[in-house]
Amino acid sequence: METKTIDPVTLEVIWNRFLSVANEQQDALIRTAFSTIVRESQDLACGMFDTKGRMIAQSLSGTPGHINAMATSMKHFLAAFPPDKLAPGDVLITNDPWQTAGQINDITITTPIFRNGKMVALFANTCHSADIGGRILSAEAREVFEEGLRIPIMKLFDRGEPNQTLMQIVRINVRQPDEVIGDFYAQTACNDAGGRALLEMMDEFGLESIDPIADEIVHRSEEAVRAEIRKLPDGEWSNETWSDGFEAPIVVRCTVKVSGDEIFIDFTGSSPQSTRGINVVFNYTHAYASFAIKAAICPDVPHNEGSFRPVHVSAPAGSILNALDPAPVASRQVIGHFIPSAIFAALSGALPGRLMAPGADPIWLSVWRGQSPPFTLTVFQVGGTGARPTKDGLSAVGFPSGVAGVPAEVIESLSPVVMKRRQLRPDSGGAGTWRGGLGQLTEFTRRGDGKWSVSSIADRTHYAAPGLLGGQAGATGAVSLGNGTQLHAKALMDLNSDDVVHVNLPGGGGYGDPMKRDVEKVLWDVVEGYVTSQEAEKKYGVVVNYKGKADDLVKLPENWAIDHARTAELRGGR
Amino acid sequence: MYRVGIDIGGTFTDMLLVGEDGGAVIGKTLTTPGDPSLAVENALRPALDSGAVKAGERGTLIHGTTLVTNALIERKGALTALLTTAGFRDAVEIAREHRYELYDLNLDLPKPLVPRHLRFDVPERIAADGSVLQALDENFIRCLVGELRDKGIKAIGICYLNSFRNPSHEKRTAEIIAEIAPEMRVSLSSEVVAEIREFQRTSTTLVNVYVQERVSNYLAQLQSRLDQIGFNGSFFVMLSSGGIATSETSSRFPVRMLESGPAAGALAAAQAGILAGHRDLLSFDMGGTTAKLCVIEDGQPLKTHEFEVDRVYRFRKGSGLPVRIPVIDMIELGAGGGSIARVDSLGLLKVGPESSGAVPGPVCYRQGGTDPTVTDADLVLGYLDPNYFLGGKMQLDLAGARDALGRLGANLNMTAEQAAWGIHQIVNENMANAARAHLGERGKDPRRMPVYAFGGAGPVHGYRVAEILRLPAVISPFGAGVGSTFGLLAAPLAFDFVRSAYSRLDQLDWQFANDLLDEMAEEGRRILVDSGLAANAITYQRTADMRYVGQGHEVSVTLPDGALRPEHLAPIAAAFEETYRALYGRKGPDVALEVINWRVVASGPRPEMNFRLSRETPHHTETRKGSRLAYFPEHGRYVDTVVYNRYALTPGMTFDGPAIVEERESTLIIGVGGRARVDERLNVIVELTHGN
Repeated sequence: METKTIDPVTLEVIWNRFLSVANEQQDALIRTAFSTIVRESQDLACGMFDTKGRMIAQSLSGTPGHINAMATSMKHFLAAFPPDKLAPGDVLITNDPWQTAGQINDITITTPIFRNGKMVALFANTCHSADIGGRILSAEAREVFEEGLRIPIMKLFDRGEPNQTLMQIVRINVRQPDEVIGDFYAQTACNDAGGRALLEMMDEFGLESIDPIADEIVHRSEEAVRAEIRKLPDGEWSNETWSDGFEAPIVVRCTVKVSGDEIFIDFTGSSPQSTRGINVVFNYTHAYASFAIKAAICPDVPHNEGSFRPVHVSAPAGSILNALDPAPVASRQVIGHFIPSAIFAALSGALPGRLMAPGADPIWLSVWRGQSPPFTLTVFQVGGTGARPTKDGLSAVGFPSGVAGVPAEVIESLSPVVMKRRQLRPDSGGAGTWRGGLGQLTEFTRRGDGKWSVSSIADRTHYAAPGLLGGQAGATGAVSLGNGTQLHAKALMDLNSDDVVHVNLPGGGGYGDPMKRDVEKVLWDVVEGYVTSQEAEKKYGVVVNYKGKADDLVKLPENWAIDHARTAELRGGR
Repeated sequence: MYRVGIDIGGTFTDMLLVGEDGGAVIGKTLTTPGDPSLAVENALRPALDSGAVKAGERGTLIHGTTLVTNALIERKGALTALLTTAGFRDAVEIAREHRYELYDLNLDLPKPLVPRHLRFDVPERIAADGSVLQALDENFIRCLVGELRDKGIKAIGICYLNSFRNPSHEKRTAEIIAEIAPEMRVSLSSEVVAEIREFQRTSTTLVNVYVQERVSNYLAQLQSRLDQIGFNGSFFVMLSSGGIATSETSSRFPVRMLESGPAAGALAAAQAGILAGHRDLLSFDMGGTTAKLCVIEDGQPLKTHEFEVDRVYRFRKGSGLPVRIPVIDMIELGAGGGSIARVDSLGLLKVGPESSGAVPGPVCYRQGGTDPTVTDADLVLGYLDPNYFLGGKMQLDLAGARDALGRLGANLNMTAEQAAWGIHQIVNENMANAARAHLGERGKDPRRMPVYAFGGAGPVHGYRVAEILRLPAVISPFGAGVGSTFGLLAAPLAFDFVRSAYSRLDQLDWQFANDLLDEMAEEGRRILVDSGLAANAITYQRTADMRYVGQGHEVSVTLPDGALRPEHLAPIAAAFEETYRALYGRKGPDVALEVINWRVVASGPRPEMNFRLSRETPHHTETRKGSRLAYFPEHGRYVDTVVYNRYALTPGMTFDGPAIVEERESTLIIGVGGRARVDERLNVIVELTHGN
């Protein structure tokens, strides 16, 4: 087929095929993966790259920090192993935080694909490994060296032969060798699946190379993003967001400048890098900044090299968002996940009615480790998202991360940990014309006697998600013991057999004046128990009375009534 | 004994009756939404009176319906409460803590069927190994259920944690409810779907109990209507798995009836394939808003256990209510005659998934639609006759369609005709793409499978879809308009069972496994014998869902017959590795295997399908109706193309593409190089020749 001039129909057809090739890759990964982190929580990214290392297609699921950081990593892979040093059957690996996803647990595996002896594409994926040795995943390290085994870019398979030396070193260094090595295999197999599908389609279309099509894809995506940026007013806006930090609060300060068809995001003024593992490598900063712009202005433009180009990101070297080797970085998500909220807050004036209030932001991660029987379990949890200009926030839904939760039954089938509660947290959503999403109340115990510990990596326990345009803040989160002792949200804690650990997740911020929230919506929130009647009165000025029997278990909507007179009084002229 | 299949769809109720002598009568009437059994009478009575059935002759009626799906989409079920383990009443709302779309800030999540004020925390707890951590608070249940009864709640779903390991608390709760509120509808998660993952299990259980009353009232109403019109015989319902069950069983497990209409369509394809000598094929049903594809292998549609109902976001996985039931493995995508074409922000032509629906519909329907659709494109390409749509009942506006396509094409530097071909090509590619991914995920190579094309738009697009997928042939059935009923009659009486029970394969308690399998087989035997089958006519298909220890997704492995013994370990492991390699291309790491679920399908014999449709009296006796200009890319232009009258084709006829074959409900398009022949059953079989 002639590819010099590609008509829009042919391009659409081939482009769609690329996207479905990446989805085939992702499906194979989820179905063959071992760790719950990949198979249940989908902490992963999959994508296809051209021979220049440009990301051309990305799979449907995945999490932004991985997708975009993986895209950057390809430059490093190709610098270490240029195409002439690669052969069919080779598979490359690295977890270097500064070259990929900013955390030593994130393993990127890349496979070059050959056709008639010539490299035509690369497939890559990034997955959060169940373990990588060193400390249990935490924020407590003072140098990256404590955080686990660092694997420089090297071959995992050499012409189809597994690198047994590396596998042996990994096995002896990690707590769950079967899961970790099992996932290496799954990550390799899924690249194969993508590669097979690509080769079939190249045969079918008679394509010798995908590069000319890649040029067109990159070009059109870039133009589409530029066109969207041109619709924005030129200007410069700043905002800041605060995180609990580790020893001291951390500020993420961002300035967004729109100039013609380009956007410049700069993080000058953010805190300097921390002594503890909450530092963010620049790759990851870039990943979440470009994610935020895409979600804000062009969610429909496919994600690839071209769509990143008009977005320029900078952060001072040595700052919390551009930490330098060998800074500890294992828990970079607790800061990195604030980036989209910070950018949205800055842009909310330029894009009225389009952006949401800040939410719980960082995903919460806890690693449960114990004996009799031995176990290591990583659990992801999420709070509420911020309210939107015309909708409430989502309860117990992650944003910006794309990671999913783990069922209690799966947790319990893999360990003696017992989940005692997983419940929406009343009154945790920030009040507003549109209410923030609710956080969660969760509780963990263990069965049997034995040592156990939890390493928690959480945030927004001091700094709540602020509201937007008159909306109020969501509730802060907390990690505590059953007896009320507050735990450090970013530390490893040894536990007694009979301890109960409460992990209560934060809510999202509200949007607009709560006194203007539709009274029927407030009533329904009370009926459903999302908001208590006390808060309804206090925050929303809506008086809802329960008319049923006090000790009834079943309280139906008709048992509740709005006191319109009192409500009008409280709401005044508003 | 005669047999009747009746499929109640959104618009039409279709009927196929086959008499003792093999003579068949078909019927089609408008569905009567107020009382669907009325349409059954309207369709069935003329057939019963037609002489095909002797007075007093016994019959078997098999019924497929979209009632359950519609009740869920419209949220027209019973006022339902949910009882969960204390602390977990929100599990069904918290769901997977996940956004199914990464970049859309405005997405919505599906709403649970039961609002929060009707979800209750019950003091009780069972551990992952089945042991009791906290006893069931029976007193609490008594108080709660009394109140629920008094306050007009009609149905209760019960889903306690780890009940798939130990159902005793769920069972005891049901006993108490039966004492206090005997009229209450109750579903236990351990009975509906005894599988791990509380959110999916709860969701499935709620779907089941939410529609139970509605379904059983409906089936009772239908039964009494059948009694009234003198139907003498047994009455069965098609299940989503492609099996059939009695109306009693279906009333208990209505969740198993989801998608029973489309399931019948896939079975019809499978059956037609067998009769035409193709045991492997791709069933392709394209209608007004969606296309459904299903792989038929060795005469059987592939099955799966994951399904989602009522997807709220562009058919996106994760945007619906998950249901874990045995279901024919179909993909549905937003590609149909009504799919809208537009130019996106990248200057590319996109088709669907948005649809113009029945109203306003395509531009050419002249009902106010202004967005060009696939049907408009097909019309401009000459594939549809503006004067013979639905047999001429509806006049299509060719000029209007061309204008709309011209406006669209102007944004792409294309003429109306080029835009029409672009739309046709892209919608075909979208469907082929979905099919390819579906096949790939299942490790299937389609290149020997013909396409079985049906539905209003299926035969218009089937040839090109086959061409893209490099499939050998297209089969276009005669009487595709009542195709699903054909599938209803092809289904055996069958029921599926599953039990979750973790074990490493090399540490398996063989006695325990045999007991589970026997228990399920016995349950199946009882249901099928109660339905009138002889015990010795029942066959049992036994499989295990297996994986490498530590994985989260399973591979289904067929088990050897008879009691399992330790010496079966090696062959079972070998069967697993073989299936795994077929799916993922390489063997997994060297770790042990584990079994997650045990499954048994109990089925009766597959019915004989030896009958002939009597052909309708044709209006034209001429084989060729004439010719018209239609676009064929092989020529790169419009060419004068012969139009055949489907009703005048006789077995053994052959003709070559380009050609158009018209019947009332659909049109078959045959490309250049296609060779068509008519088989004894009046199917048109088109063989394709693929270039390099």
